[in-house]
Amino acid sequence: MNCEICQLKELEVEHFEIKEVLRCILHTIIFHRALGLVRPKEIDLEHFEITYVQCGDIEVEKTIDEKIEQFICWVEKHPNKKSQICLSFYEVKNKQASWFTNKIERLYWEQWYVNLNVVQQSKVHSSKSHNSKVTVESGEDSLEDRSVRRTTLEGSLRDVLFQIIRFVNDKKDHVPPIPNREGVISFPYEITIPSSSDSAFGMDMIKRMLQTGHPTMLS
Amino acid sequence: MASSHSDAARMEQIITEFFAKSLHIILETRSPYASSRNFSGEQIVSSPSSSASSSSSVRPRDKWFNLALRECTETLENLDLWRQSNLEPMIVDVILVKRSLDWDPINLSPNPELAKNLSSKETHTNFWNTDQEELRNEGRSEKIVERWVLQYEVRKMKDGRKGGKRSSSNLLSLLYKKSMLLLRSLYVTVRLLPAYKIFRDLNLTGQICSFSLTHRVSSFAEPFTHREEAEMQRFNFSPIDTTCGRLCLSVSYRSSLSDVNSEGSTPMSPQFIPDYVGSPLADPLKRFPSVPMSRGSPSLPFSRRHSWSFDHYRASPPISYSPSPTYSEPYTPASVPCRFPPPGLQPHPHETSNSQKDNASFDEYYPSPTFSPSQSPSPPFYVPGSHISKALLRSESAPVNIPYRKLHTSSLLKNPNLPPSPPLKGSRRGNYRADKIVPPSHLSITADKLLAVGKDDCNRCTGVKISISRCSSRSFHDDFDDSEFSCPFDVDDDDIIDPGSRPESFDQKGHLREPLEPGGLIPIRKSQGAAVGALVDLLQKAPPLSQEHSQSAVPSQMDYGEAHKTGMEEPDSISKFHTVQGCSSSVASSGYHVSKTTADALEELRAYREMKNLLLSQAGSTQTLASYSTVERMEKDTK
Repeated sequence: MNCEICQLKELEVEHFEIKEVLRCILHTIIFHRALGLVRPKEIDLEHFEITYVQCGDIEVEKTIDEKIEQFICWVEKHPNKKSQICLSFYEVKNKQASWFTNKIERLYWEQWYVNLNVVQQSKVHSSKSHNSKVTVESGEDSLEDRSVRRTTLEGSLRDVLFQIIRFVNDKKDHVPPIPNREGVISFPYEITIPSSSDSAFGMDMIKRMLQTGHPTMLS
Repeated sequence: MASSHSDAARMEQIITEFFAKSLHIILETRSPYASSRNFSGEQIVSSPSSSASSSSSVRPRDKWFNLALRECTETLENLDLWRQSNLEPMIVDVILVKRSLDWDPINLSPNPELAKNLSSKETHTNFWNTDQEELRNEGRSEKIVERWVLQYEVRKMKDGRKGGKRSSSNLLSLLYKKSMLLLRSLYVTVRLLPAYKIFRDLNLTGQICSFSLTHRVSSFAEPFTHREEAEMQRFNFSPIDTTCGRLCLSVSYRSSLSDVNSEGSTPMSPQFIPDYVGSPLADPLKRFPSVPMSRGSPSLPFSRRHSWSFDHYRASPPISYSPSPTYSEPYTPASVPCRFPPPGLQPHPHETSNSQKDNASFDEYYPSPTFSPSQSPSPPFYVPGSHISKALLRSESAPVNIPYRKLHTSSLLKNPNLPPSPPLKGSRRGNYRADKIVPPSHLSITADKLLAVGKDDCNRCTGVKISISRCSSRSFHDDFDDSEFSCPFDVDDDDIIDPGSRPESFDQKGHLREPLEPGGLIPIRKSQGAAVGALVDLLQKAPPLSQEHSQSAVPSQMDYGEAHKTGMEEPDSISKFHTVQGCSSSVASSGYHVSKTTADALEELRAYREMKNLLLSQAGSTQTLASYSTVERMEKDTK
C-alpha cells in the first residue's frame, strides 16, 4: 500500500492564531477520514470568517488540543522557525511474533503536513523578548496592517481547506477498506510535532514505545 | 446472476441515497427556514468536549454513509419528487432574493448582535445608509448564487465491465466508501462557500430580511448566460466510478457576494446606534462607564460577526443598544421630572442637600447600587428593565409627595420616622402653583383611572404598592404608619411587586403629579386595619385648621378653595359624585398644606372618607367601623 502525502500550503500565522488555525486544519482532515457514524459539529473560527467541521469525537478533540499545546510550547522555545506538523493515518498489522510477542507494525497510508510559519509579532509582548527591537516594531504595528494580514491569512487558510478537499476527492483509492470498528474514527492516526526530532527526544521515544504497545491508545 | 441483479439494485439504492444525502447536505445550509429550528446555538455553544454522537439515537437515514444530519423537511419534500424521476440529474439552484426595502431605520428592531457589530473587524460597516438608499431603488431581484449539479452518467458500453476482475460486492463497498468520502467533503465545502455566510446571517440575525435565500430543485436548469458564467466559479468533485457509470457532483458559485454581505451584515451604521441610545437614556447611562464597554467583548476585538451567536446565547451585554420598548420605556419617567424638576428631585431625604433644579442633577438621585448591576446580568432585555424600573421607583419613591408631607406634616406631627425637611420650600411652592393650572377635568379623568387601578390591584397584592401613580399612598405610609412600614425603601417592598407589571405602571407617566390626589390613597393595601389605623392616626394628630392660613394663601388658590367650598358643602355627598369630583378635592387637599382653610380640610376629610368607604366595602370589619365613627366625629368637629 502506498502512502499518499499531502503537503499543505504554508501559512504565516501569529502566535495567538496557531491554535485556531491548527484546530481548523487538523479537524477538517480527520473529519474526512472519520468514516464511522459521524454527527458533524460545525465550528466557527473566532478570528476568521470560516466555519469548519469536526467529527464530534471527544478523544479526537482532546488529542488535537494536547498536540497543539505541545506545539505552542515548542514554538516558544524555537521562535522564528518554520515548523511542520504531521498528521498520519495508518493501519495496524499484526506481524507474526518473532522476537517479541505482540509485535505490531504500523502501515502508514496517508500523511498530511501542515506547514506553519509563526511570525513574531504580538507574541513578543508576553514572552521574555530576547530581542527588544522586535517589541518596539510590533508595538507600532498599525491596526490596518493587522487587518490586512488577517484577511490574507483567512484567504490562505481557506485555500488550505480547499486543498484538503481536493486531495480527499482526488485520492480515494489508497484509503483502506473501512474496518468494522465502533465509533467515529475508522483509522488510527497520529500527530507529530517538531519536538520529536528536537529537545524532548527522550520523552518522545518513551511515548512512542507506549504507543506501539497499545495502538488503540493513540497519541 | 441473481446476485448481480441484487447488486445492481443495491447500487441503485446507494446512488439514490447518495442523491438524497447530497441534497440534504446542501439544503441544510442553504434553506434558512427549513433548518432554523435546528440551527440553534447548540452546535456552536455546546462545549467542545461534548460528544455529538452519543447524544441522540441513530435514525435509519443517518446510517446511510455514516453521516448523521439534522432534520430538514425541505429535503424530504424535494426528494419525494425526485425519486419518481428515475435517477435524473438533480440541479439545485440556490437563489438569493433581495426584497425592496421600505422599512425605516427607527422601526427596524436591532439585535444584540448589531451592537457586537460595532466592534467587528468589518471595514464596510460605515456605509449602511448608502447601501440602504441604493436598495430602496431596487425592486425585488433574484440571483442564482450557487448551482449544484448532481448526476449519474450511465456508461453506454456496459458489457466491457461485466464480470470484471473484482467482484461486484467489492465494487459496491468501494462505491459506498467513495461516496462517503465525497459526502464528507461536500459537507465541508458547503460551509466554505460564500453562500453559507448569507445563510448564517439569515439564521442568526433572524429579523433583518432585506434578502433571503431560496432554492429550486429540478432536473433541468436554464444554462447560465455568458455574463453569469463569467461571474461564477466552478468546483468539481471527483466523480465516482461505478460498474456502469459514474456519479458526478459539481458546483458553480458566485465567489463574490459582497453586495449582499455588506448590506446584510450591517443593517445599521455604528454611528446610528449610540445616537439612538443616547437620546433617551444618555444622562443616566453616562454615569456607568461599564455600559459603553459592554457593547463589544474586549477580549475579541477582531472577532468575526458570526461569533455573535456566542453572545446571543450567552449573556448579551449590549443591552443598552436595543431600543426595545421594555428598555426605553422605563426611562421615560426620567424625562418627566425634568419637566417638573423640583418635586421630582427628592428621592431620598439624605440627598436633599444636593438637590438642584437643573435636570442634570436628576442623575444624582439614581441609586447607583441598584442601577449598575443591571448591565451585567445575562437576560438581555427583561432584567435590565426591571432593575431600571426598580431604580426609578426608588429614586422616584416620593419625589412628588414626600416633600409636601415633609414640609407640612413633619414639623407638625413630630413623627420620628419622617425625613428632615428639605430646603427647597420656595421652589416647591412655585411648582405647586404650576400644578394648579392643570384643569380639573383632566385630573378627574386620571383620578378615576387611579381608582380603577387601585381596585384592581388591591385584589392581588398585599404589599405596599409602589409605583409612580401611587407614591402618594406610599408617602402616607412613610409618614404615618411607623409600625408597619418602618422601612419604606426596603428592597423587599419592591420585590413584592411583579416585575413584569412595572413597565406598565410606568406607562402612566402622565400621572406623575397625581399623587396629590386622594385617589392615590386607595391602593394602600398592606393591611386594611393598618391603613385605617394610619388614617385615624393622621386625623387625630391633625393640626389646627387655620394655622397657616394667612401666611401661605395665594389669591388664586384661595379662589380655588372657595369654589370648592361652595360646590361641595354637602357632608354626605360621597358615592359617585364624589368619585368624579375627587380630582378637585384632591387639588384642594394638596392645597391643604398651603392654605388650610376649613373648606380645604373638609375636602380632605371627604377624601379620607372616600377611602374609608372603599376600605369598608372591602373589609367591613368592626375595627374599620370604629374608625369610621372616628372620622364621622372629626368631620363634625371641623364643621
